[in-house]
Amino acid sequence: MRARRPGGLGTSVNWQLVVPVVGGTLGAVGLGMAVCALTAVVAGDGAGVAFAAPTAVALALGVFALASARRLRSIPFRARDGFLAVTLAWFAAAVAGAVPFLLHGSFERPVDAFFESMSGFTTTGATLLGRVEAEPHAILLWRSLTQWMGGVGIVVLVVAIAPATGMATNRVFYAETSGMAAQRLTPRIADTAKILWGIYVAFTVAGFVAFAAAGMGPFDAANHILTTIATGGFSTRTASIAAFDSLAIELVTIVFMVLGGINFALYWRALRGADSLRPQLPELRAYVVLLVVATAVVTLSLVASDTAIGAGDALRDSAFTVVSITTSTGFITADFEEWNSFGQLVMLMLMFIGACAGSTAGGMKVIRVLLLGKAAAQEIERQVRPTTVQVLRVGGRVFSEDVRKGVVSFFSIYMLIFAAGTVVMAAIGVDGTTAVSSVIASLNIIGPGLGEVGATENYTAIPSGGLWFLSALMLAGRLEVFTVLVLLTPAFWRRSVA
Amino acid sequence: MRVIVIGAGDVGRHIATTLSAERHDVTIVDQDAERVEALRNELDALVVAGNGASPKVLADLGAAEADLVCGVTQSDEANIIAALAGHQIGAKRTVARVRDADYFGGDESYATHVLGIDFVVHPERATAEDLAEAIILPGAVHAEHFGDGRISIAESILTSRSPLVGRQLGERRMVRPNFIFGLIRDGRAVAAEPFHVLKRGDHVLVAAAREHIGEVVGHLAGRMPTGRDVIVFGAGRIGLPLSRRLEGQDGVRVTVMESNPDRARFAAERLARGNVVLEEGVEKDVLLAHGVDRARAFVACAGDDRANLLAAMHAKQLGADLCLAVVSREEFTPLVDALGIDAAFSPRLVTAEAILRSVRGGNVRAMYLLLGGAEVLEVQAEPGCRAEGRTVKDAGKRAHTRVAALVRDGKVIIPHGEERVQGGDRMVIFNAIRGVADVGSTFGAS
Repeated sequence: MRARRPGGLGTSVNWQLVVPVVGGTLGAVGLGMAVCALTAVVAGDGAGVAFAAPTAVALALGVFALASARRLRSIPFRARDGFLAVTLAWFAAAVAGAVPFLLHGSFERPVDAFFESMSGFTTTGATLLGRVEAEPHAILLWRSLTQWMGGVGIVVLVVAIAPATGMATNRVFYAETSGMAAQRLTPRIADTAKILWGIYVAFTVAGFVAFAAAGMGPFDAANHILTTIATGGFSTRTASIAAFDSLAIELVTIVFMVLGGINFALYWRALRGADSLRPQLPELRAYVVLLVVATAVVTLSLVASDTAIGAGDALRDSAFTVVSITTSTGFITADFEEWNSFGQLVMLMLMFIGACAGSTAGGMKVIRVLLLGKAAAQEIERQVRPTTVQVLRVGGRVFSEDVRKGVVSFFSIYMLIFAAGTVVMAAIGVDGTTAVSSVIASLNIIGPGLGEVGATENYTAIPSGGLWFLSALMLAGRLEVFTVLVLLTPAFWRRSVA
Repeated sequence: MRVIVIGAGDVGRHIATTLSAERHDVTIVDQDAERVEALRNELDALVVAGNGASPKVLADLGAAEADLVCGVTQSDEANIIAALAGHQIGAKRTVARVRDADYFGGDESYATHVLGIDFVVHPERATAEDLAEAIILPGAVHAEHFGDGRISIAESILTSRSPLVGRQLGERRMVRPNFIFGLIRDGRAVAAEPFHVLKRGDHVLVAAAREHIGEVVGHLAGRMPTGRDVIVFGAGRIGLPLSRRLEGQDGVRVTVMESNPDRARFAAERLARGNVVLEEGVEKDVLLAHGVDRARAFVACAGDDRANLLAAMHAKQLGADLCLAVVSREEFTPLVDALGIDAAFSPRLVTAEAILRSVRGGNVRAMYLLLGGAEVLEVQAEPGCRAEGRTVKDAGKRAHTRVAALVRDGKVIIPHGEERVQGGDRMVIFNAIRGVADVGSTFGAS
């Protein structure tokens, strides 16, 4: 006997989870817009009108959805409801986030505004703005805020601030956060979400002070810490961090990019004592080693290939770029398209690897790469010694066989998306380098790539079809592929799915 | 001494029999009425049917006046509860057998200081320790340490490689000060005499300072086992701690065979370097595939005595250097020698040894039971005892024992027989026939 699920609208989807999550997300977006509207009024830059209406609508929808959720509860939620709710919430956030760009006139085409907004929320940092400085303060702040809200996770934020709505909070929490992070810190997910956002806010405040101390004005400092700790990469300058030409600012940026690339659960565990920290350490160690080794290798190759550059400048450029790329931030101080092809390819590799699981960064995540390496070595060994019981272990931490399967299938799917995406982009009509690098930069939520989307370029050269497609890749990359992909399977929509 | 033993399984019966033979008042409780009935006829002790973990039953049995309450049922929980209840009612000393390391793994001070259980025995863990000693010290199948670890007693089996085989004990060359004080031949322990001619298969008991024991045993045994591979058959409660201990040793490479997939994974996850293979492992070709022929040691410690004996026998025939088997049931021990297996270890015996050791208390500090029914124990000669001033040889004779070695002022003395006993000497003595009564009257305070 198959009981008909309550609350459905003729499909198997549980709208009673989806509506409050999407509505709550819109409410959070509305709060962000309200901040920008206030900024516009204070700065008197005339962009306030563009924010007034969307703020009101988003907040109203948010309040309505959360209020309706309060009445409807005690319905079993399943994992699939979480996937749908989170994906729709991100899509809704991107749509809502695009409205101020359109109303203000930053973009004329809806696709451009949507791309900019999606690039913001997913913390990709790819932009279509030719001259960033031309935009009013409110629009610049809005770009930064989208990244900041997307950094730790906008649904996590909703869970943190509106936990008492009867949502299946753990379903949506796990659909948004990295499956590799083992992030649950407290018995109640809502408390975990609060902790993560608390740490995030603390870093943001500390980073604001640091940027200001390094010589940025308050508005630049605020925008840059919002996009740095989120490892997003939007800047208030067209030339990105290079516009400041300040070693101090670059160092502060590096520090907070690195911090943003570390598992946020690790900070909480560090506060609780060294013992609970231990399972997280192998990934952290590998992450630091990756950054140091990549910086050293790129520095050497720059010095060797370019006699004009001094060792000091080479180190400065490569350290900043390695950290910016690995953490999927995408800030620029040097045009790595002018580097030798070795340096460029190292950057592409780093884009794929990414930073730690449970951070604000993108990419496949260091822990997955470590596990993949181990799994591959063990698979080779298994050919020789078939009866050996193999344990997936990184630095003393044992991973289950489910994790092994998960990591291997994640990698296959990731590579398939990359390969297929490249072909799609080429079909849309961009050149090979651009097609490859734009897909890498979007799927790994980096921002800048090579070719027409290179470090000193923007995405205006991509046709509108390509922008839609890359937006979808960003969302898939941010939600670590599975959450989005399951929605595309027929099984997901079949009513008899248990 | 009044003793209450809870649980009339192998261990309980063994302890009850031994203590009863030493003229202690023993009460033994078990829930199984049939078992109780059978035991009534064979044991000179009060045998009671009932739940020994129940405070009421314990009180009725007079636990308040008991010197020892000893929980040795099949259930860890019942043993712990019995010991707690015994302690609460007023028993002087409580002992619990605990097999699951989750309870007090590595931290007995919790059991002792918080719960008030005086002594926790971990049979499997203790057996694993013994096995590890036998492997780490090549040539010895057992090594025990006395006198705060200064004196080592090793049990070594003479193989055809040994230079001692066919010679009289009196005419052997000595590399380092050592004393062969006992022999186990054909399953019987005897005090070694200079005129004994050593044979292949004899277990030789030798005492030496700890820093010399490796060399001494190596000399007795002839060629040392070579190779670094140790194969552990069975990843159970003995195999896993044993493997964990061994994998921490330099130059040892552990391979664990386990036939249960879940247990194999469980073990693999807990071994940092050791290699776990999912194999039945009793068949010769499987053993061979994992290099048994080149192994330095093969340890059969699966749950089944028959499988252990079979696997160890195969391994020996295939050429493994040292083959050890865990044999729980006493009736199988005669098979050990017949199958050519180098030594057998019994968790039951280890448990009884540990508990009896704790029972004797007083001036007996440490004890080691041998499979042949003999024991090695450590006593302190109290100042003013009857043995003081006598020669070691004479003192030993009085107590029907033999002094194997002693520690005086922190120095190890391997006696030739003419040294004189002083008060405060810590002596390691060997009893060919179990029974400790004379030791107390000879070396104890008078």
